[in-house]
Amino acid sequence: MAKMDNKKFMVCCANGAGSSLMMKMTLQKVLKKHNINPATLHHCALAEGKSAAPQYDVVFCARNFANTFEDAKKKGTVVLGLRNIMSEQEMEKAMREADLLDG
Amino acid sequence: MATLLQKIVERGHYKFVDSVDSWQEAVKLSTESMVKTGYVSEDYYQQIVDCITKYGPYVVYDHYVAMPHSQEGADGAKKTSVGFMLVKQDVDFGKDEDGEQKIARLFFTLAAVDPDEHLDNMQQLMGIFTNEPLLDALLEARTPEDILAAEAKYPPAEEI
Repeated sequence: MAKMDNKKFMVCCANGAGSSLMMKMTLQKVLKKHNINPATLHHCALAEGKSAAPQYDVVFCARNFANTFEDAKKKGTVVLGLRNIMSEQEMEKAMREADLLDG
Repeated sequence: MATLLQKIVERGHYKFVDSVDSWQEAVKLSTESMVKTGYVSEDYYQQIVDCITKYGPYVVYDHYVAMPHSQEGADGAKKTSVGFMLVKQDVDFGKDEDGEQKIARLFFTLAAVDPDEHLDNMQQLMGIFTNEPLLDALLEARTPEDILAAEAKYPPAEEI
């Protein structure tokens, strides 16, 4: 079982309609590649995401929004800001650096 | 089923522009084809401009691609669609918070009303944005026929 199995993931962008959907698709590809079965994979706008973030294990956002989630970070949520939201490589690298991937 | 780029051409949701004075003007022009067909309101562009002004140029990605959008179900969006615009000269969106200059020439402007159709559009856009040969060909497009020819030559990968 992968260590990220059954974890709660959230992706977040300013509006919840564009970039966050793209990032969700990138994340789905990465999770599939690493055989990770998430408990939930939610996408939403920053306004919702900011208050909801502490309930999630991992939050992805465009890197310019990463500092929005300081509260959640203090409560143990892993927050990963990405430069290119469509890059599987960048997402994998960020997850590996945060020790979220096996091996 | 028509692909997203085919729908863009069928609906006349495309525009080719030589240059613009500002990114704000570019955003406005990028909605024009969808205003004409009633897919978005005349002031929809302002909602997008306000959003970019507030949050920065995060809607500009790699390879000269911009995806101007407001939120799903935004006031100005009447029907779900994507508007394409090519600007021959660079459109400068300024620097993001990390000091990276954001430049766009290919605009894919979103109007999101119907969640299912919007999701399908986004999946197809993801396929387009990660297909560099197709983006290169679209940068050279000057007519709607060029858009279709580019897609036929470099079809997006079927996945996700």
